[in-house]
Amino acid sequence: MNNIELPIEKDPEISSSDETSLLVIILDTNPGQKLLRDNPNAITQVVDSVVAFGNTHLMQKAQNKLAIMTCHSRTSQFIYPGSKAALDVRQIDGQYEAFTLVEKTVKQNLSSILSSEHSGVITESLLAGAIAMALCYIARIQRTKATGLKLNCRILVVTGSGDSASQYMNYMNVFFTAQKQNIVIDVCSLDQHLSLLQQGCDITNGLYLKVPQVSALLQYLLWVFLPEPPIREKLVLPPPVKVDYRAACFCHRELIDIGYVCSVCLSIFCKFSPICTTCHTVFKIPGPLAVKAKKKKMKM
Amino acid sequence: MADNGIGTSKQEISTLITQSNLECKNLYDYLKTRPSNILERLYNHPAICLAVYRELPELARQYVIRILFVEQPVPQAVVASWGSQAHSREHNYVTKVLTELNVWTEGSLPGGLLGWILSHTFKRNLKIALLGGGKSWSMSSALEPDKNVRDINFLDTYSSERWECVLHYMVGSQQQEGISADAVRILLHAGLMKRDEDDGSPVITRQGFQFLLLDRHAQLSFSTLGKDYSTEGMSQGLLIFLQHLREFGLVYQRKRKAGRFYPTRLALNITNTQSKSTVLLEEDTPKGYIVVETNYRVYAYTDSNLQVALIALFTELMYRFPNLVVGVITRDSIRQALRGGITADQIIGYLKQHAHPQMLTSESKQPLPPTVVDQIKLWELERNRLVYHEGVLYSQFLSQADFNVLREYAQSNGVLIWCNKEKRTLVVNKNAHDDVRKFWKKYSKGS
Amino acid sequence: MNDDEDPKEYRWETGYEKTWEAIKEDDEGFLEASVADIILRAKRKRQAQKQGSQKLGMMRHLYLILDCSESMSSQDLKPTRMICTLKILEGFIEEFFDQNPISQMGIILMQNKRADKLSELAGNFRKHIKYLKSLSKTNLIGEPSLQNGLDLAISSLKLLPSHASREILVIMGSLTTCDPGDICTTVTKLKQEGIRCSIIGLAAEVRVYLLYQQVEPPPAAVALESSLIKMGFPHQMNTEGTEEPLTMCMCHVDSTEEGSKLTTGGYYCPQCFSKYCELPVECRACGLTLVSAPHLARSYHHLFPAANYVEVAMANSAENCYGCQKNFTDEDKNVYRCPKCKKIFCIDCDIFIHDILHSCPGCATDLATFQIMQN
Repeated sequence: MNNIELPIEKDPEISSSDETSLLVIILDTNPGQKLLRDNPNAITQVVDSVVAFGNTHLMQKAQNKLAIMTCHSRTSQFIYPGSKAALDVRQIDGQYEAFTLVEKTVKQNLSSILSSEHSGVITESLLAGAIAMALCYIARIQRTKATGLKLNCRILVVTGSGDSASQYMNYMNVFFTAQKQNIVIDVCSLDQHLSLLQQGCDITNGLYLKVPQVSALLQYLLWVFLPEPPIREKLVLPPPVKVDYRAACFCHRELIDIGYVCSVCLSIFCKFSPICTTCHTVFKIPGPLAVKAKKKKMKM
Repeated sequence: MADNGIGTSKQEISTLITQSNLECKNLYDYLKTRPSNILERLYNHPAICLAVYRELPELARQYVIRILFVEQPVPQAVVASWGSQAHSREHNYVTKVLTELNVWTEGSLPGGLLGWILSHTFKRNLKIALLGGGKSWSMSSALEPDKNVRDINFLDTYSSERWECVLHYMVGSQQQEGISADAVRILLHAGLMKRDEDDGSPVITRQGFQFLLLDRHAQLSFSTLGKDYSTEGMSQGLLIFLQHLREFGLVYQRKRKAGRFYPTRLALNITNTQSKSTVLLEEDTPKGYIVVETNYRVYAYTDSNLQVALIALFTELMYRFPNLVVGVITRDSIRQALRGGITADQIIGYLKQHAHPQMLTSESKQPLPPTVVDQIKLWELERNRLVYHEGVLYSQFLSQADFNVLREYAQSNGVLIWCNKEKRTLVVNKNAHDDVRKFWKKYSKGS
Repeated sequence: MNDDEDPKEYRWETGYEKTWEAIKEDDEGFLEASVADIILRAKRKRQAQKQGSQKLGMMRHLYLILDCSESMSSQDLKPTRMICTLKILEGFIEEFFDQNPISQMGIILMQNKRADKLSELAGNFRKHIKYLKSLSKTNLIGEPSLQNGLDLAISSLKLLPSHASREILVIMGSLTTCDPGDICTTVTKLKQEGIRCSIIGLAAEVRVYLLYQQVEPPPAAVALESSLIKMGFPHQMNTEGTEEPLTMCMCHVDSTEEGSKLTTGGYYCPQCFSKYCELPVECRACGLTLVSAPHLARSYHHLFPAANYVEVAMANSAENCYGCQKNFTDEDKNVYRCPKCKKIFCIDCDIFIHDILHSCPGCATDLATFQIMQN
């Protein structure tokens, strides 16, 4: 696509940026998140920014692809391209028709989701599930693409929720799947620090950013998340944060430093218990030696 | 494409297209030769801004996006700090490109610092294309639903019929449907065909062949396939241009005066500028049909006369079956094609582009057997035993030492074409003549 | 030697499978669709056979005994048996540690009637691969001694704690072995110690691809004593704003290789704060096993596999696949339903989910079912 290549000695990475790229944006619209509980109108601005960002991605190259998903209080679904036939969009102003189509489709699908769900119960956003769906979608696109075409895929999660350890297993499964499939997971947090999703970024070589001001969301998105992974090394971007790789125990879902691991099934527990709740193995009681050793070290 | 309404004449558009397609003169090379006021006028159209934006190098696109919403000039030092140290060469290059295209200009900041600011028109119109606002430019808005709606399949068949018709004409295959004199004139004008010197009948030229072999994708027109667009508000010149496009199957119009037209896939794809990476994601990409074996046999699974005629341009056909033709690549057949002005790269490119999917999935990951590729190239090289370089002869050196000094200078600068020690003569590249002469003067003065 | 498959009869005695009869032409006379269908079915069948939540010997200790005798230079596998084997082993080792994250592996060579330890039991796959690569230039001489190899492996495996699963994988190029004593005594010893031993012979039959069957943890064959092991999940130390001091990591403290440089980053033992540059490792100071949590998580899908889907007839049960959003057409005769969340999937997603993803997207997006561990 790029006509304007470097005139001298083409670097291989320059030509490799000439590939099609698919971006799947997962937008957390759960009204239960703190950000939206404080200010329900913030959703409009977040959606606008995300749509504009998606269109900017499409603007990069004619063959770029975009999909937008919403992760709502009870469901996760694709809002662009929706499952229904594409809308008949006419150009109404100077905006490029394809961009108008994205905007219209997203807004229509989103409003139908928002109006269909009004329960006052606060639920957690099942982001891991949404990522799993996105991975299935990407897998299909990879299967059906033309032979010989190179398609780079990435997922961007935009959320104001916290990440709860209750989805730990699903998170790990999706992260490792993404890593195996060479899919980059980027995370843009609007509100709180997300330690699990941050691990996902680290595993898949994605970027993690906690946006300081939601009002400037679009600028942050464009600066940090627009560049494709191959070109990221050429730009100065926020350095990777040191990731906190603690595990969540199976019994209380809390992040722990030191825990007990069942030798049979590798379940993690924060306290010693005589029976593994996962595989029902009966453990032998650790000898007094181990206890001693532990005490001694604790003093250090 | 028809309706970008640039206000430039038909010719200008068509040269723009042919240049960007054919002479490897791309949009960038074309645009940078335009004076800034013309560029500014071009940037008055969101569609052009979008097209120019997509042609920019990747890094430049990131820079533009970063300052798209900034109203003041951004200090140059700040922009330079965006790129990582290791890639400063690329950074300098994109800075140059953006300046040459007048996408951004230098502006001074309070305090005397130099900064970059996006061209006002470019910025405004790119924002319009991205976010909306401004006037509509694709003329689809005012239209009511068409009674005779044409679906994509219809348009595809229609356009490919028309297009093949033109191509047939160009390849010179026997059973041609007449194409209008206008179309022939355009082909001639675009330099795709030339009148044969003997009988005045048009024959295909090198560009023409390249044109045929190009794959036709990417979108300059930014209209959407399968939609209808109004012809209202188009100038007379554009209407004529539209009729030409219709002739080529680029757009569909039910009647000459129908008042609406549908761009076809061809139109949307034709203006691509580079043939790589254009395989689209959709499942509708045409499947390759050519299998090349290491024994130089070519199997083409096709029933299209055009494709057969194309293959016949550089192979000797052996058998013909309803859905398959078998040919063989020989030295003679290739030389025949080369004599016609077709290059080896074009032939290889064509075979590669239309390689059968089976060839792509093979273990070697190469669509063509390397032996065949090499041989075709060798056959071409055979013809080019003489290479012409313009040069300047230096002779009558007074001493061998003088000769050696000058020869070494020329050699180290890579401008030496030929030299003879015994006769103390050497030939340097003509472009470097001034340089070498300067050096010689300096040298002879010093000694 | 409790070899996996103790065949009751030879392969040719099991009766002929008429594989070709299963292939039928479709309406246009093509075979492809039918063949693809068979392959998909086979995949599904294999998935169905995996049973969930069984006990697995996760902390595997595997000795790889590699024949480096003259017979390995034979060229019946191209380019030679040795090179071919090494190449495949590289992939095996990587995959092994991918699937069995906190396992350990060691390599023993059999050469010239002797057995030598190439690498000690360790959990770092890069090291093993480095050793393997260096092997490609060794001289292949003499005869192998299976007994010596096994004895060497037993001697270090028997020191391991009782909860660890112990395995030996032998790759033999030679048909014969030159042993100092009666190999049967060694075999009984193996049995006593509860060591699982598998042999892959290259000479009689090409069965190198069997390697990949070894990757999945075997059901705990021998009754292992189980225990809870105390582990630490170290994190990278980061104090805001301060530069980390240059420190020496414990793993390189007494090595003289070039890798032993002072570095700033690293993983710190949460118990005694000694630093390591790589995980997993056993803390040298306090003996705590240090692992990174994702290391453990990698193997959880063995414990909590996604529920197998039920094949149901299409019959307009859904418009599109819940996972990949594909619109169902008439070609999709069967669709697949998750028994837990009742969502409908296409066959490609079914396979993708159970082979790679291991989480059902339907369950994971449903508040009622998303927690995998709630049995």
